[in-house]
Amino acid sequence: MSAVTYDQLQTLYRTLLVFATVAVVILSVGLIEFVYFEPPGQTSGVKAHIEGVFQYDPTTQNVIGPDRSQFARNEQFAAKVDWASIPDNLTIDAKWYDSFGSIEGQVGPGSPGRLAAEPLVPVTVPPGFHYVLPGRYTFVVERLSDGVPVEVLGRRYVVVNRS
Amino acid sequence: MIRSTNPPAADPESRLRPGRYGIAIAIAALVVLALVASSILNYVYLDSIPSRASLYGLLAVALITLGTYILVRAFNRDRAARRKHLIRAAVLIGLGVLLWLLVIDVFIFTQSAGPVVAALFALACVPTTAFGLFVVRRMDRNHKEPWRLVLVAAAWGAIVATSLVVWGETVWESSAQHTLVPGPGLDASLAFMAGILEELAKGLAVVLLYLVMRNEFDDIVDGIVYGAAVGLGFNFMESVSYMTNLYSIFAPEHFGGLAAGLQWYGRQVLGLFFGHATYTAFIGAGLGVARQMHGRRQKALAIVSGFLIAISGHFSWDAWATFFPYQSTFFGLIEIHLRTLIMTGPFTAALVALLLAGINFEGRNMQDQMQKEAASGSGAILPDEVPILASPIRRLRQRLQAFERAGLSGYLKVSRLQTAQLDLAMERWHRERKETDTPFEAEEELRRRVIELRHWVTAA
Repeated sequence: MSAVTYDQLQTLYRTLLVFATVAVVILSVGLIEFVYFEPPGQTSGVKAHIEGVFQYDPTTQNVIGPDRSQFARNEQFAAKVDWASIPDNLTIDAKWYDSFGSIEGQVGPGSPGRLAAEPLVPVTVPPGFHYVLPGRYTFVVERLSDGVPVEVLGRRYVVVNRS
Repeated sequence: MIRSTNPPAADPESRLRPGRYGIAIAIAALVVLALVASSILNYVYLDSIPSRASLYGLLAVALITLGTYILVRAFNRDRAARRKHLIRAAVLIGLGVLLWLLVIDVFIFTQSAGPVVAALFALACVPTTAFGLFVVRRMDRNHKEPWRLVLVAAAWGAIVATSLVVWGETVWESSAQHTLVPGPGLDASLAFMAGILEELAKGLAVVLLYLVMRNEFDDIVDGIVYGAAVGLGFNFMESVSYMTNLYSIFAPEHFGGLAAGLQWYGRQVLGLFFGHATYTAFIGAGLGVARQMHGRRQKALAIVSGFLIAISGHFSWDAWATFFPYQSTFFGLIEIHLRTLIMTGPFTAALVALLLAGINFEGRNMQDQMQKEAASGSGAILPDEVPILASPIRRLRQRLQAFERAGLSGYLKVSRLQTAQLDLAMERWHRERKETDTPFEAEEELRRRVIELRHWVTAA
């Protein structure tokens, strides 16, 4: 075995180690990002009371019928939140996320007292579409700290059927 | 297992050899257990996956695994036994594929798009994936891998790896969505999930090839080829499921075809070599370097490095691609390309650099061995043949000349002779580096085969 040949393999091996070092840096940045947006010790113990998710009439801006977890595509729906269940010294918001993680409806941020005038949080139909997209929707009431959501105070899921 | 031979093996005292098959059997057993557990859990708990499909999927995986095992082993048998084993393998793989098709007909996303749409999308992905596999195999300019192993690797990526990650990703995703705040934190968690679980599931195929098919796993170039093949297989299955899912979501708004088409372009054209193929090729690169290192610590570090690079590449795309949003305008089309180039381009460029260095390393050493063989006067490789064998273009030219002289038969005979000569050079290289545990008779057998083929070529 020649020394040149051995060095070539060593070069490949060391190059791989250098790339692996960069990989560790990338994964560490990812971990830091995770900790920044999910800081430990952010449990306030507060639970937001979500009264339910109901069919929503956009013309009257009111809800119809019982609390449901499944909707047809041509039905609009809204979550009803009891803002009084949350202490007024917190900054909060409420959002609907579709199955792609896009925000499809929001109120806040603000204090529960300020949001009391908006107990309904409807899902909005994306621009250019006739109905909401099918899939699983997640509704969250979030507590904010320095403008960043740090804790989920309440959560509901609903499914919009494809047919 | 060969413990002592006369003449001796290059490294008869190899401490790593006895454990190799044991590790492979342990990994295979764990994979089967994971698939069994996954299918049972899917059957019991997941409403979104039709229960019967889950069990059919398990059976399909078992049949294809058994079939490919028999197929690979068939080529190591004598001609009489080979045909029988090939038929057995074909029947088992055929049954597995039929069951698998049944699964994709009803599986999660295709359920709503329908079997015809699913079959059409699968067909749309076949030519591009086949092109990808062709290119990947051609990358090994000096010593191409057998199609059967490249296809086995792709099949693992498409069928076994995707089945392995279903349950793990379901549990991770579900628990993350129930506990984390939606946004970048959740995105990072899901990106870690995809990077770790999918790369481990894909990488197992390359690890098993490394452990079991050592004669066909020579160096970093082979590792990159096998890894990329696994990635292309995985990308095929993922493309079909994403296309059918998006089609079913957007079809009522009359954007179904467009959404699926864009997905096809993003995964099967733009991302064909940039995504999964690049990530898993790094795992292969790590295993390929480990194949030729002598110390256990260096072997382990090389393998871990390959996995780390693959996981980080996959993670960075999943976690940070959304930081480069694109507009719904014509300029958005340019932005999509730029995003892929910026996010995955550096990983692909690094892989290409490793590949080129590997090809150079392999080529120079094989040429060195050819020269030594020619100088030995054995007659297997003649001095005039060395420059031809060392150059893919000149090898092709020699085959074409044979085609002109004797037609397809002449072309194939010269092709077999060249392959056998390259096999011999590769065997010599491994023996000189003491990284083979086959006895010296194996090299002599290769030499005899080359001389035998040379007689056929001369006769033609």
